[in-house]
Amino acid sequence: MTSPTLTVAASAKNATKKYGKDEGVVYALNNVSVDFYSGQFTAIMGPSGSGKSTLMHCIAGLDELTEGTAVIDNVELSTLSDKNLTQLRREKIGFIFQSFNLVPTLTAEENIRLPLMLGNNKGDEEWIQRVISTVHLNDRLTHRPSELSGGQQQRVAVARALASKPRIILADEPTGNLDSTTGSEILKFMRMAVDELGQTIVMVTHDPVAAAYADRIVFLADGKIAGEMLEPTAEKVLDRMKSLGN
Amino acid sequence: MFRIALKSIVGRKARLVLTSLAVILGTAFLSGTSVFSATLDRTFNNLFEDVFKNIDGYVRSTQVVEGDFGLIERQRIPADYVDKVLSVPGVSDAVPDIQAFARIVGKDGKPIGTEGAGPPTFGSVAVEFKGALWTIAEGKFPKGPTEVALDEASAEKAGYVLGDKVKVVAQSGSRTFTLVGIASYGDVRSPGGATFALFDVPTAAEFLGKPGFVDAILVVGDGSRSDDALAKDIDAIFEPSQKVETLTGAEITKETQDDIGQALSFFSIFLTIFSVIALGVGSFVIYNVFSISAAQRQKENALLRALGANRAQITRSMLIESIVVGLFGSLLGFVGGIGISKLLSVALPALGFDLPSGGLVISASILINTVIVGLVVTVLSAVLPARRAGKVPPLAAMRATAIETAGPGRVRLFWGLGSMLVGLGIIGAVIGGSSNNLLGFGVLFVFIGTIVIGPSIARPVALFLGRPAETLRGVTGQMARQNAARNPKRTSRTSAPVLIGVALVTAVSALAASINGQIADIFTEQFKGDYAVNSNAQGFGGLSPDLATTLSSIDGVNDASGIGTVLTKINDKGRTLIVITPSSIGGNYDIGLVNADYSVLDKDGILISESLAERDNLKIGSVIPVTFGDGVTRDLTVRALYVHNDLAGDRVISRETFANTTVSSFDFSIYVTLEKGADNEKVRAELQKAVDEYGQGKLLSRDEYIDEQAGQVNQLLGLIYGLLALSVIIAIVGIIITLLLSVFERQREIGLLRAVGMTRSQVRTTVRWESVITSLLGAVVGILLGLGLGWVIVFALRDQGLTSFQIPVGSTVFIMVMSFVVGVLAAVYPAWRATKVDMLDALNTN
Ligand SMILES: Nc1ncnc2c1ncn2[C@@H]1O[C@H](COP(=O)(O)OP(=O)(O)OP(=O)(O)O)[C@@H](O)[C@H]1O
Ligand SMILES: [Mg+2]
Repeated sequence: MTSPTLTVAASAKNATKKYGKDEGVVYALNNVSVDFYSGQFTAIMGPSGSGKSTLMHCIAGLDELTEGTAVIDNVELSTLSDKNLTQLRREKIGFIFQSFNLVPTLTAEENIRLPLMLGNNKGDEEWIQRVISTVHLNDRLTHRPSELSGGQQQRVAVARALASKPRIILADEPTGNLDSTTGSEILKFMRMAVDELGQTIVMVTHDPVAAAYADRIVFLADGKIAGEMLEPTAEKVLDRMKSLGN
Repeated sequence: MFRIALKSIVGRKARLVLTSLAVILGTAFLSGTSVFSATLDRTFNNLFEDVFKNIDGYVRSTQVVEGDFGLIERQRIPADYVDKVLSVPGVSDAVPDIQAFARIVGKDGKPIGTEGAGPPTFGSVAVEFKGALWTIAEGKFPKGPTEVALDEASAEKAGYVLGDKVKVVAQSGSRTFTLVGIASYGDVRSPGGATFALFDVPTAAEFLGKPGFVDAILVVGDGSRSDDALAKDIDAIFEPSQKVETLTGAEITKETQDDIGQALSFFSIFLTIFSVIALGVGSFVIYNVFSISAAQRQKENALLRALGANRAQITRSMLIESIVVGLFGSLLGFVGGIGISKLLSVALPALGFDLPSGGLVISASILINTVIVGLVVTVLSAVLPARRAGKVPPLAAMRATAIETAGPGRVRLFWGLGSMLVGLGIIGAVIGGSSNNLLGFGVLFVFIGTIVIGPSIARPVALFLGRPAETLRGVTGQMARQNAARNPKRTSRTSAPVLIGVALVTAVSALAASINGQIADIFTEQFKGDYAVNSNAQGFGGLSPDLATTLSSIDGVNDASGIGTVLTKINDKGRTLIVITPSSIGGNYDIGLVNADYSVLDKDGILISESLAERDNLKIGSVIPVTFGDGVTRDLTVRALYVHNDLAGDRVISRETFANTTVSSFDFSIYVTLEKGADNEKVRAELQKAVDEYGQGKLLSRDEYIDEQAGQVNQLLGLIYGLLALSVIIAIVGIIITLLLSVFERQREIGLLRAVGMTRSQVRTTVRWESVITSLLGAVVGILLGLGLGWVIVFALRDQGLTSFQIPVGSTVFIMVMSFVVGVLAAVYPAWRATKVDMLDALNTN
């Protein structure tokens, strides 16, 4: 499943994120170092408030680290101007959020092509068609988000994340708002994107079943790395979570 | 509930500030113009109190003729009355006063001051006198026929210093004097921006008026009796037949103040109209802001409803908020108004209108008025949104986003179209022959209909107008287009100020263009001369009748004929008559005499228009008694009728009628025809030389003259630009507020876009184009409406001789460009705010 030599798609080194000052200081991330490998589906788990979202945001260049570095595709984010950072997000990162993923005034297809259009980029048409048909959205392309179900909306988000062939896809609880059937549909699709399309995905989740779709799980607790697990199953994850005090 | 309302206000300071901004805008103009009017009133009152401070009596003729436009001419009195007054016991000093038209010619040969428009230009008397109006700031009082003094401001403007030769133009021609004094009036350098050339009494009488006559006598008492008693004593020495009256110092002060007050009241009415428009349009902005904020609070309100609040409570809490906003906004508006009036009082002197010094008049009554008006307008504007807020179903708390109900609504369409149809029906009826008075209602119904339909057409029109943005800007343009169309109600309300302003401006432009074309036609038909010397003096002053004589003696000139006006009284009504010289006017000016030529008009004759003949049942041979400025009534016999009364008015007389009397009359134009085969270039040069020498008037060829006459309507443009500026300001603020509220509302969306790769400049582009589309939406509908309105006005004026409607192409293009610029300008701050949106908000799943 994993290739013998792993290349690093994104990483954080000694990443620290502090909120507040002096007495009231909160360490959302406390000296975290972690690598995410190309062609792998990685899940991040941990109790609520453990810093999962913060880690994702910092790796995506949406937020700045207090100390340490975040690197995507060998580029250190803190060295980039806002303009270059925006370009990097547009070209190298795909996002899937828990909700409010889509621009309400654009159709499903326009939402899928949004990052490409913003970059005045036609993109790889064959690839886009393949993505669209894989997520079974062909008959929904001209609909507005308000005319789509929650699951369909998430599928559009997944398609958007894939459409520009990004270096890495970051997903923060992409199935958090979905019922289990729809959720597993999305997860299967993400799994397939990794296996068949060679994508790199990092996903935050609370759900052991969802995490079981990943190749590797990174555990966070109190802003620190609390361990890893390879080839996870739902049961193994559940046990581990219990020990983390969730 | 009251506490919840207050909490909600304090909790959203940004919203409070934005809503208040709309109120401030509406009330600032109101209080600003009030403060300014009050200030003007007081400063002029103080000025005249100062000026007449030492005057105890004012002797003048009781004989007055009034012209058409409130112009008056008071008969002069013989200069030797001064000695009679001086002999009255109790009189310590008395001097004559003369005030008449005179223009100072600058060093460059051009007269200073604006003719026709702007403050008047006077010649008057300056002598040493206890009650002197004029004091000498530099040099001495003028003495003898070659000396002049100027008011300080004019001397400075023209760059004259003591000892310079100064040319002055008056009724009797132009003459050059030596400048011996610089004078000031009360404590101002020139009263109200008027220019003054000052002489001693004999020179003034001879040069400005008639030798041996003066306008009035200023009297200073010796203190032995009251002003009233002194006035009675002076009156007693005159026979009733001499028709002289004596006013006390207090009376002449009061009369002058009232006269000025009247003149200023036009100004105040004008300013009030502007502030009412500002307030009306501003109330749209207020209404819009409350509607948006009600929509944005839908969830919050729904939650309150779900927790047990009833409709009335929700509505009441919004009304309480509107009261707080109204109070807060109008108080700030009052402060802003003080700033506006300060600005006006700085701007006016810069435009050559020298105001007497004195602080602003800020009274409690202006404050109270402003707050009451502001409060009422705000609360009224909030009533509908508040009621709508109360109707929110508790279930809405569970809904995802707080988008305003977008449905265009059949009911709305029905009422809007209905109102428009009623309006069009009325207009149609008027065209079909009903009374013109109904037109106003027709227009009003169409306007209301358009505003009501607004939300229904906003979406398709915005989508249509946004098409170029999408082609030009790709996905950002597309999003701007969709954003402009997504809340049609909001977009149409936001564009309403643009719409109203543009409609008004377009209508006035169309009217101006139509009048313009009409005038050109009339002049082309009736003016037959090759050249014209024109003065723009409107009723006061103009060209000396001698100039025409001078011009006709130039080689190559066939005829040079002056056309002037004279004020008279007919049947106790003031009438301005046209004065011509029958012997020379023939080839120059065609008024369409019926079966006659100008030679029938003699000293005792009058020509009248056919329409007057019909109205007053007059015919050739009828006798009309006409009272002139010298108090003499002359019986004039109708010699002929004429057709064209659009330029000549209804009555034309000969210059001979009042030759060698004290009646004053100026020419406003001199028409010139050349001899056949005359060297055009050479004659023009000669004419120009003579006009330059005289010092006033503008020499124009036939075409130039017709163009200029037609172009006079462009003075209406001043009004247009005022309206335009006002609506531009309000429109910009309105759009800024709406965009800011939309940006706040779309924070998550903007954050999401930024996250998936939209650059800051793309965010700005999106907001900017949305703004431009909104502005253009108002402009396009406004232009259509304005053209319609203009057509209707022109139609209503058909009886006044306005027959052809013309589309103001230039203005329309200008307005489109302006509304584009308005859109871009209004977007600057909201677009910047949009780039500051925190991306993490979009990801914040809560
Ligand atoms: N803007 C902020 N200001 C202060 N503290 C913050 C801020 N954002 C996050 N935190 C804190 O940082 C810590 C990590 O937050 P983060 O959102 O990364 O947690 P999480 O692991 O994603 O939790 P969850 O599973 O609930 O989403 C939390 O203790 C949180 O309270
Ligand atoms: Mg989180």
